[in-house]
Amino acid sequence: MLVVLAFLTIDSLDASRAGGRQVPDYDVINQHIGYTYDWSRRLEVPVIGPAEPLFGRTYSLQEASGLMSFGKLVIQSRACMDCHTFFGNGAYYGPDLTKAWLDPAWSQIWMPMTGSSTREAAMVAFLMHPDQYPTWTRRMPNLHLTRAEAQAVVAYLKWMSAIDTNGFPAHFGRIQAQN
Amino acid sequence: MTSAALFATSAALGLLVLLGGAYGVLYALGAARSSPSLTGAGYACYAGQLLLVLVVCLGSPLASLWKLFMAVSGVVYGFIPPATWRLLDSIHHNQLQ
Amino acid sequence: MYRSQKLALRYFIAAITLFGVMIAAGLLSALYYIDPALLYNVFDFQMAKILHIDTLIIWLLMGFIGAVYWFLPKELGREVVGIWVAELLFYVFCSAVAVVAVVFVVVQYGGSNEFSMWFINQGRKYVEAPRWAAVGVVAVVLTFVFNVTATAWQARRITGVLGVLILDLVPLAVLYLDAFPKITNMSHDLYWWWWLVHMWVEATWEVLIGCLMAWSLMELMGTSRRIVETWLYIEVMLVLGTGILGLGHHYFWIGTPQYWLSIGGFFSALEPLPLLGMVVHAVYDAGTHHMKTTNRPAFYWVLAEAFGNFIGAGVFGFMMTLPQINLYSHGTQWTVSHGHFAFWGAYACGVIAIMYLVLQRTRSAEHFDSRAWKWGFGLLNLGLVGMVGGLLIAGITQAIYERAEGGSTLQAFVAASEHPWFRSAMYARFIFGIVFALGYFALVYDLLAIGRRAAVAAPTQAAPA
Ligand code: HEC
Ligand code: HEM
Ligand code: HEM
Ligand SMILES: [Fe+2]
Repeated sequence: MLVVLAFLTIDSLDASRAGGRQVPDYDVINQHIGYTYDWSRRLEVPVIGPAEPLFGRTYSLQEASGLMSFGKLVIQSRACMDCHTFFGNGAYYGPDLTKAWLDPAWSQIWMPMTGSSTREAAMVAFLMHPDQYPTWTRRMPNLHLTRAEAQAVVAYLKWMSAIDTNGFPAHFGRIQAQN
Repeated sequence: MTSAALFATSAALGLLVLLGGAYGVLYALGAARSSPSLTGAGYACYAGQLLLVLVVCLGSPLASLWKLFMAVSGVVYGFIPPATWRLLDSIHHNQLQ
Repeated sequence: MYRSQKLALRYFIAAITLFGVMIAAGLLSALYYIDPALLYNVFDFQMAKILHIDTLIIWLLMGFIGAVYWFLPKELGREVVGIWVAELLFYVFCSAVAVVAVVFVVVQYGGSNEFSMWFINQGRKYVEAPRWAAVGVVAVVLTFVFNVTATAWQARRITGVLGVLILDLVPLAVLYLDAFPKITNMSHDLYWWWWLVHMWVEATWEVLIGCLMAWSLMELMGTSRRIVETWLYIEVMLVLGTGILGLGHHYFWIGTPQYWLSIGGFFSALEPLPLLGMVVHAVYDAGTHHMKTTNRPAFYWVLAEAFGNFIGAGVFGFMMTLPQINLYSHGTQWTVSHGHFAFWGAYACGVIAIMYLVLQRTRSAEHFDSRAWKWGFGLLNLGLVGMVGGLLIAGITQAIYERAEGGSTLQAFVAASEHPWFRSAMYARFIFGIVFALGYFALVYDLLAIGRRAAVAAPTQAAPA
């Protein structure tokens, strides 16, 4: 069993490295990302589209990697995972963040609420002051993120939404069409 | 998978294992007290398991490979209580020699 | 009594105390679901939950360590080698836990830098404790492994149970090194994180509790060593045979290849089978020994362990382990339901059983019975089953309304969380949580009192130390 596991581990780590079969490179944050049903695999897959700069700029691979490393540190230091799930792993007090980048709530609720003209600006505004922009009674606390920290998290969430998760979460694309 | 099917399939799977447990307990109690009625109740639970396997195979949207798997494990469940019992008995007897 | 056994008692006291802290933190965590405005921006859900699950891991580990320090000198007929280091480390361990708890309550979290990782909060579920404390845990566990192996070495004696235990402790300790890295790639991070979480609870801990239960059965029912050991070997092979690749049920959706859907589904679907064997075994022992035990509390807790492990891990695990179902149940209260039942059944009940077993020896009570233990047993199990039932309803509500129908967006999440089933389930969970807490008090009272009166009534018996 252990030998089998060792081989599978080597292959899985390769497939899931940034730039591997399932996981795009970090500079994917410079592109549009969608999530649609793939009839041949019979599950939903991310679709990497044309260029779509983040915060109005294009990141080199090196810059993007630095941003991700920082973003992950923000996520760990604030223990986001003890309220939220990433790929469904973590805690269940807050919504799953796997496809948070694609959530229609940004355009429908938070862009108007924060007076932002882009999704990423709304995300930064929310993450810096979640206590000011609640959508319901269960609120996210203010975790004192700086602007740089919030931006790194947004970049991280955008990259995560481009990962092929074998169709999890299902049907996200259903309400997604208008976004 | 529709939510009704999701709920029904998962309930059937849970019940399947639970009945497996009931079969194990009743069979073992029956053997310990040499009570045919308890053993019989155990077999009834096992029959319930087989019925559930049938339900899952015919009625659930699981992929056919999983259905095959369920069918095979339905058979395997049948052997576990008697085999475990015999094994336990044999190690106890070796020990008495 | 050996010094090692006195140390065991200290470990048990610490474990039971932390069990209480864990319940308090669990009740608090549950309250946020009912009143989300509670302590908002002062002490939020995540911190209460961290305290809850981290103390869970620590009290169970302390229970295990204590149990081994109890059985080891008996098994080998000599004092444990290097016991003074172990005694010293016990206090280091307790102080470290206290310091970490205070930091979690007061400082809570730090900035985005390495300092936070080393000294405040690492933010990885179950292993949030900062790295310095993780180093401490490694030191304790390594000393523990050293104590066990060195004692066996000096005694020039190895038994089957002990051999399995030593072989098991090495990977158990090595896996804990997983508590340190900060990996940027979330897929890789979770890949390794699950080695720690799954390989502990469904492989190495399962073997460890198997060894402890083997010793317990020999004490409790006088089952012979040959029988217990043969059985242990078979169990270990089956548990590892299914549990190691069962790991795959956590690799369905984290950015790993699709073949895990088949591998993980297949092997984890086999995992209930060895647990069924254990249930048959429990009934066999209960039946053939005609329940002739002098320690009924320990006996009932052992039975609860066998059944709880089977239902919590086997039944509740199997309900959601096939990928087509897990796609919807994954990461909902359904998971929490299974997590509570399985941890309780497989480990907590076992640790409590061993405590009763040990107390009978230290208090040399002939008549080892009481009313309080029944209250503790009844309320704790009733509370747990009630909580788990509530959580299952909440989880199914989420799987249906948030996942299968809603499509997992924020809006869908909110809709499921506001659904009347979900909301009532959260109340039910809290109320049964209170029942559970009452059971805890009965348990603690009983652990303090049981067997004492008998010891007084029979002063000719060796005085308990
Ligand atoms: C105390 C628990 C808690 C913690 C800790 C927490 N969150 Fe939240 N988060 C929530 C809740 C509750 C919501 C829903 C808020 C609302 O709808 O008003 C939320 C919403 C969000 C959303 C919007 C999700 C969507 O799909 O639209 C994002 C993104 C987010 N959080 C990111 C984070 C990040 C990043 C961290 C860590 C820095 C974090 N959260 C820490 C509870 C928490
Ligand atoms: C009074 C009793 C208890 C209450 C009220 C309680 C409450 C909670 C709550 C609210 C959570 C957070 C779940 C989430 O993220 O939404 C949690 C998590 C958890 N608790 Fe408890 N708990 C109790 C007892 C226990 C016991 C006895 C155990 C184990 C023996 C346990 C083990 C766990 C585990 C393993 C988790 C993490 C589960 C997961 O995230 O999937 N708890 N508990
Ligand atoms: C002693 C045994 C076990 C214990 C203590 C245990 C505990 C847990 C816990 C605490 C979790 C939640 C982890 C987290 O996200 O924090 C979990 C998840 C899971 N367990 Fe178990 N488990 C056990 C056995 C089993 C068995 C035998 C099966 C399968 C038959 C199983 C199937 C699963 C699955 C599929 C998940 C993932 C849930 C999800 O998708 O969110 N477990 N387990
Ligand atoms: Fe697992």
